[in-house]
Amino acid sequence: MGPIERIMACLEGREIDRIPTFCAMLEDRTFNEVLGKPPIPQETLFSNFVSTYALERWGRMLTKPIFQPLLNKAMEKRIRAAVELGFDATWGMYEETFIVKDSKTLILFSGSIYDLQPDGFGNMTYMYREPGITSRDKFESWPYWPDPDEVAHRAYKFYKKMVSKYGDKICLFGQASAYGIQETILWSLGFERMALWIRKEPEIISRFIKMNEELCLKTTIAMLDAGVPVILQSDDFAFKTGPMMNPLMIDELFGEPYKKIISLVHERGAKYILHSCGDNTLLFDTFIKWDVDGLHAYENTSNVDIYQEKKIHGDMVTIIGGVGVDYLLTDRSRDEEVKNHVKNLIKNLAPGGKFILGPVHSLSSIPAHKLKVMLDAAHAYGKYPLAKQ
Amino acid sequence: MKESIYAIQQAVDELDIDGIQDKVKACIEEGISPLEIIEEGISKGLEIVGQKFEEGEYFLADLILAGEVVNEAMPLLEDKMDPSMTGKKGKIILATVQGDIHEIGKNIVGMLLKANGFEVLDLGVDVPASKIIETAKSSGVRMIGLSALLTTMVTSIKDVVDIATESGLRDQLKIVIGGACTSEQLKDEMGADAYGATAVQAVSIFDGLSQAL
Repeated sequence: MGPIERIMACLEGREIDRIPTFCAMLEDRTFNEVLGKPPIPQETLFSNFVSTYALERWGRMLTKPIFQPLLNKAMEKRIRAAVELGFDATWGMYEETFIVKDSKTLILFSGSIYDLQPDGFGNMTYMYREPGITSRDKFESWPYWPDPDEVAHRAYKFYKKMVSKYGDKICLFGQASAYGIQETILWSLGFERMALWIRKEPEIISRFIKMNEELCLKTTIAMLDAGVPVILQSDDFAFKTGPMMNPLMIDELFGEPYKKIISLVHERGAKYILHSCGDNTLLFDTFIKWDVDGLHAYENTSNVDIYQEKKIHGDMVTIIGGVGVDYLLTDRSRDEEVKNHVKNLIKNLAPGGKFILGPVHSLSSIPAHKLKVMLDAAHAYGKYPLAKQ
Repeated sequence: MKESIYAIQQAVDELDIDGIQDKVKACIEEGISPLEIIEEGISKGLEIVGQKFEEGEYFLADLILAGEVVNEAMPLLEDKMDPSMTGKKGKIILATVQGDIHEIGKNIVGMLLKANGFEVLDLGVDVPASKIIETAKSSGVRMIGLSALLTTMVTSIKDVVDIATESGLRDQLKIVIGGACTSEQLKDEMGADAYGATAVQAVSIFDGLSQAL
């Protein structure tokens, strides 16, 4: 079986030859270890006197000609490295979402602000700083909201190229410049304001949802047109111990937009996966009602019990993830521990199919070697029919 | 219980942001003391909210709304209160550890602590360990709440504990940790005193500590 056939069969609950593997977006450290380090480290590139001066003065102007091509290159490297490592599927991301404000600040076009900072491995990364939309006026006059058609057009071009280069080697799980409908609002308003505005400013919330829905819908169509077989949307609905909002409210606010997008994906013969961090135990029924094909994360650092979920929903939805990035996929773990964990996941989650093994998240500190250990173990112990362990 | 006090308790419990001020005004007009309104109305209401959160009936967003209800009520009461009653349960330093800029959890804990009668010194996010201990030293505050979401930043908790030890303050301080990447096990590894899994738990931990100190 080839990787695409294996993934699609798994998502449909059909028989497969072995456990499929999924790569959450690889960060710079990891793909540099696989593909080779760039001649000039990003940190040097971004933090020297000349670039700092240029970004301080002309950051916004330099976004399109300098920053975006660098980002595009990194996004392709994520996919290429996942192919070289031997994954069956990878989360591809087309990110045309950031505007450089100055040498330390990025603005996400949908309303939130980020620190541009070193990742500790010689590369640059971004970290959420604060919401950008702090009042009704700021919402009405936010200057960076993009034209969804233009974003979709560029996403199409990016994925057309990626599908033609890698589409037969790896199953692309596409996401394009549109973050989750809920999490975009959360980041843009901040959690406290979002909770309050749902109650006090429902008209703004409703318009914000519509804007995000349009962006998600148009970029999803663009990816499907480009030949992406699986759409993966990130939308963190939960935190460590449970959903951020009442599940009924989540369904009421976000159910219809998601059902509409997922139905469109299915009409086109593609699959839909939702990534949601945290403990989503109380939300899994809702996501399944929205008709998702797979769910990713099941973060081990949250209270979710992946093994229990297999028993409850394992025949209704494909479980994706299982390998923690807090310890196992770090420099601190031993290879043997990774191998044993993979064996345990296979023993408990592989029977009956509908399980794709992979990291629970992306993280800048994941060593490529640990991913190799994870993959080797999956290939060695994950062949169907499963051997008794 | 007086009906008007019960109405305040109910307004907090039902997250009635728009109605709370009228209910507080009615109590004041009746001659009920601000302290009684806070202790019997607002705090009891928050207790019910906390209970509903623990039982899974309320969620994080509901805690935010409960905090907002209290924020609406407090300005009407603070003017009329004896200043010595503010923060009467004690003072707490709150901070998100160095290298981590997540603040939602810390803010929710801070809001609930204030509403429960603590005075909070919020040092913000990405706070160096040295600053936290210097603040404890200069202010005399003995309870510290540290928040951390990023797995990669947990060692910053240890830095706080180590600097407290180096400055000879460790025995006098109570360090409580919370946040997505924290756990009971991490508390032991880092040498902290307590771990709060939720904001509501954090309040009851500080309640216990304030009585013990």
